[in-house]
Amino acid sequence: MALVSGPGRAGGATSDQELHTQKHITYITKLDTVRASFQSYFEAFIDYELEYWLTEHLRLNGVYWGLTALHLLGAPEALPRQSTIDFVLSCQKENGGFGAAPGHDAHMLYTVSAVQILVTVDALDELEAKGKGAQNGKGGIQKVGSFIASLQNEEGCFMGDEWGETDTRFLYGALNALSLLRLMDLVDVPKAVSYVQSCENLDGAYGVTPGAESHAGQVFTCIGALSIAGRLDLINKDRLGAWLSERQVDKGGFNGRPEKLPDSCYAWWVGSSLAMIDRLHWIDGQKLAGFVLQCQDPNAGGFADRPGNMVDVYHTHFGLAGLSLLKFEGLEEIDPV
Amino acid sequence: MDGQYANDPEWADVTPIPLDDGSNEEVMPLASIAYPPEYIEATSYLRAVMAANEMSERALKLTQDVIALNPAHYTVWIYRAKILFALNKSLEEEMAWLNKVSLKYLKNYQIWHHRQVLMSSREHFPTIPPKELDFLMEMFAQDSKNYHVWTYRHWLVRHFKLWDSPREIEDIDALLKADVRNNSAWSHRYMLRFSPREEDVPDSGLANAGDMSTTPADKGRLAIVDEDMVDAELEYAQKAIVLAPENRSPWWYARGVLRAAGRGLGEWEEFAGRFVEGDAVKSTHAVELLAEVYAEDGEKGQKAVDLLTLLKERYDPIRKNYWDYRIKQIEVDV
Repeated sequence: MALVSGPGRAGGATSDQELHTQKHITYITKLDTVRASFQSYFEAFIDYELEYWLTEHLRLNGVYWGLTALHLLGAPEALPRQSTIDFVLSCQKENGGFGAAPGHDAHMLYTVSAVQILVTVDALDELEAKGKGAQNGKGGIQKVGSFIASLQNEEGCFMGDEWGETDTRFLYGALNALSLLRLMDLVDVPKAVSYVQSCENLDGAYGVTPGAESHAGQVFTCIGALSIAGRLDLINKDRLGAWLSERQVDKGGFNGRPEKLPDSCYAWWVGSSLAMIDRLHWIDGQKLAGFVLQCQDPNAGGFADRPGNMVDVYHTHFGLAGLSLLKFEGLEEIDPV
Repeated sequence: MDGQYANDPEWADVTPIPLDDGSNEEVMPLASIAYPPEYIEATSYLRAVMAANEMSERALKLTQDVIALNPAHYTVWIYRAKILFALNKSLEEEMAWLNKVSLKYLKNYQIWHHRQVLMSSREHFPTIPPKELDFLMEMFAQDSKNYHVWTYRHWLVRHFKLWDSPREIEDIDALLKADVRNNSAWSHRYMLRFSPREEDVPDSGLANAGDMSTTPADKGRLAIVDEDMVDAELEYAQKAIVLAPENRSPWWYARGVLRAAGRGLGEWEEFAGRFVEGDAVKSTHAVELLAEVYAEDGEKGQKAVDLLTLLKERYDPIRKNYWDYRIKQIEVDV
C-alpha cells in the first residue's frame, strides 16, 4: 500500500501486552514528512496479503486513516489542520467528487474519505464556502451531495464512478458521507436498504453483491448502511452474530471468511459489526486485544496484519480502531458505525 | 522532458499535460508521491490524449504502458475499453493479454471490472468463449478463494445462464475435491442450485432476501423445489462431512438446502448423532444441530441445554457468552 508498508515489522511477542502510544504517533506523522517511495506503492499491489480494500490509489484514504488513528491516540494536532484541509480541497473535481490525489478523477471512495476528513477536523464550513460549485460562499456541500447521489443506480446500489462498478462498499460510503453532510434525502434510501438485504446469505452474513460469498468486510458495509438508514431491525441478529463470532480463531484474532488466516484489521470490521448488533460480548475481547497488540512494531510504531509482518497505516488505523472498540485503556472511544 | 515518448516521432504532435498535484502552488501536497520519471512521462501523454478523446492505436498502446506501471490506475482502464470498442479491436486478443495481467496482479479490482465490461458485449460474446472457464480455473490454481474471481464467475453464470451447465458443477466438484473446506466453492454451489433465475427477479443470496414483505422465517424458501436434486445435494454434503466433520461449510450448506426445500433440521438427527457419542464429540456443528432439533421438541429441552453447555465449557469456550445466550433462549422457551 502506498503510504506504505514498513519500514518496521510487527514484534509478535506474546508477552507484549502494552500499547505503544507515542511510537504510533511518531510512526504516523513520519509517513507525512518522509513520504513513501513509489516503489513501495507498487509492491503493495503485487505482494499485499490482505485481499480487499487495498488495491487502489489510496492517498486520500491514507490521510484519513492516519488522521483517525491520531485522534484515537489523543494526538489530533500531530497533523497540521489547515494544510490537511487545503490538501483535501485540492483533490476535488469540477463535478463535486474527489479524486485520490490532486489531478486524479473523482471516485466514490475518495469522496467519502474527503467528507470524513473534513468532518473530523470540523471544516465543513470551508467546504461550503470554498468547495467546487460554491457561489458567494455557499453551495459547496450540496455539490458534493449531488455527486454522490448521481451514482445511485436503478437497483438502489451505488457505483464507484461513472464507469459503473457497483459494490456495497460504495453504498455504505455514500450513505455515510450523505448522513455526515445531512443530505440523506437526496437518494432513495428504501431502495438502497432493499439492495443491501438482497446481499444477505444463508449464514446470516453478507457478500459484495447479491449471492456473493459472505465476507466480514462486506458485513460491515452492509450493516453499517442499515444502521445509518435506521433499519437494523431487518437483520437476523442471532444468525449474523453467530457467524461473526465464529470469525475468532484460536489465536484470538479474527479472520474475514471461514478457513482464512486472522488479520488485525478484522478486529475492526468484525468487532464493529458485532457492536452494531449488540453482540460484541459474544467474543473473547481479551484474546482479541492480545492478538492485535502482537501486531504492533514496539520499536518504530505502527501495526501489521499479523505478527511478524510489515506495518502499514491501514492496519495501524484499524488495529487501533479495534482496540478502541474494546475500550482499551489509553484510547478515545469510537462509534462503531 | 527527455523520455521514451518525447523522443518518439509518432508522438511529436502531442503536447503532454503535466500532473498538477498542487506542488507548484502554495498548498503543500500532504501526501504526494515520488513518481518515477517514466510514469510521470507516460501519464502526461495519457492526459493529453484523453483530453482530446483520441481513439487510436498509439493511445491503446499507451494505456498498456500505463497499466504495466500501475494497474490500479482506475481511469486508464475506462479509456482503454472505450478505444477497444471504438476501433472494433479483437476482444479475444484483449482477453489473452488480460489473462497475463490478471495472473500477475491477483488482488486488483480494475482488471476484473474491465473483463466484465468487455464480456458484457453481446455483439462480441453471444455465448461464453470456450477458454473462459479454463482461465478461471487457472486463477483458482493460484488462489482458490480469490474473491474477485468468484464474484466475476457468479456474474458469468447469470449473464450466460449457466446454472445447469455441466461444466459449472464439474469445476465446483473438482475444487471441493481438492479442498473440501473451500467455502467460496460451497457458496457458488448454493448459488447454482438455489439462487433466483428469472429475469424479473433481482439476484439475491437467499431467495426473497431483498423483498421487504418476506418474513425472516420465509427467506431462502423456494416456491417450487426439485426434491430429487435436494436429496442429492444433502447426500453430497453428508459425504463431505464424513471426510472432515469439523468443516463448517457443508453443515451450513445442508441447512441452506433444507431451508430452501422447506424441510426441518429433524431429518438430520440420525446423521448428526453419528458424530456425538456422549461426551465424545467429532463435530461441534453436529452438537449444535442436535441441540436445535432437541430444543424444538419441548420435552427434550434439557438435552439441548446439556449439549450447548458441552460446547460452552469444553469445545468452544472462546465464545462462552454466545453459548450462554443460546442456552438462555432455550430456558426461556421451556
